[in-house]
Amino acid sequence: MRRNTLVLGATLLILAIFAWAGWANWEYRRQEAERILAGAGHGELVPAPGGGTPQYVSPLIGKPAPAFELKDLNGNKVSLANYRGKAVLINFWATWCGPCRVETPWIIELRNKYAAQGFEVLGVDTEGDDLKPDDKAGWAKATAAASKFVAQEKVPYPVLLDGDSISRAYGGLDDLPTSFFVDRKGVVVTAQVALTSESDIESKILKALNQ
Amino acid sequence: MRFLKGVFVSVIAALAVGALAAHGQSLSSHAQSRPLVKTDAVTYLFPEQVSVPAGKPAQVALHFRIAQGLHINSHTPSDDFLIPTTFSIPDGSGVRLDSATYPAGTVMTLPIDPATKLSVYTGEFIIQARVVATAGNHLVQGKLHYQACDQNQCMPPKTIAVAIDVIGK
Repeated sequence: MRRNTLVLGATLLILAIFAWAGWANWEYRRQEAERILAGAGHGELVPAPGGGTPQYVSPLIGKPAPAFELKDLNGNKVSLANYRGKAVLINFWATWCGPCRVETPWIIELRNKYAAQGFEVLGVDTEGDDLKPDDKAGWAKATAAASKFVAQEKVPYPVLLDGDSISRAYGGLDDLPTSFFVDRKGVVVTAQVALTSESDIESKILKALNQ
Repeated sequence: MRFLKGVFVSVIAALAVGALAAHGQSLSSHAQSRPLVKTDAVTYLFPEQVSVPAGKPAQVALHFRIAQGLHINSHTPSDDFLIPTTFSIPDGSGVRLDSATYPAGTVMTLPIDPATKLSVYTGEFIIQARVVATAGNHLVQGKLHYQACDQNQCMPPKTIAVAIDVIGK
């Protein structure tokens, strides 16, 4: 009798654990669905086939790159439309972003390697991400920091300011560095978030150049 | 008795299969949709309420936790382009921040850039805030400003609220 009670008790306990596991799984899925809905428009990292560097899947891939016109470090207006006919790497970065500083020399090298084939880089600085529009001192400091880095690295391509103003169109840019590779027709062919490798960036440039 | 044994064995088997299936499903859905949005790099832990002598400086230890896999710059980063972690209390809250003592950063290097040494906080850290409160109950909204990264990417600088109920007696 006592043994029967024990077995019955254990069974009920296990059934209770099962019910709890079911509820926990449902709750997890509900939160995940909410998070995905909240992040609609954001890109995602998905594992690469066969391992390797995770691929950034942006909803912009296959679509025209959102148009923009921003000022460069010299105050000149630069429009993406001006680069139609060229493959373009739009590289969002900031001086406070260590991985961005690591990949910049790679991008410079690749830009110089493929420039003759119709490739250009637009560096978009998001330095002032937490700055208010009227914070003149803050913006001046941010611009000075970007200018210093550009001079130090001898960046040969246009570096544009106020990247935050176009970040929404490019999916929110929650992490840096983030790059979009645009083909000669102005269509985003691939994208990358986070530091990967020079060879990975080069393969994406070749894709934008259709080679 | 034999019937109960049968029930017990069947439940265990069903549970094992169900649990494994649910676990696998949960893991695969997580791996396939890992959002990049990381909004909670740093969480304020405690204290929620402190009592201090009114009009006199008092030490309050503020505890924070950094999400696993992330680091933030210390108060004294290794390079001037990096954004330091700072704590502040807005004026007019009835509580003044006299001074803040920050922990020393841990030296860290990134595998891809071993030459660059960073001074960072990881895990949990404590800021010793020296505050002066007027008499009364003050709901202070302190601010922690930081900038977080993992080994390959960085998030924009962020300011989080540090809510403390300060009672000046």
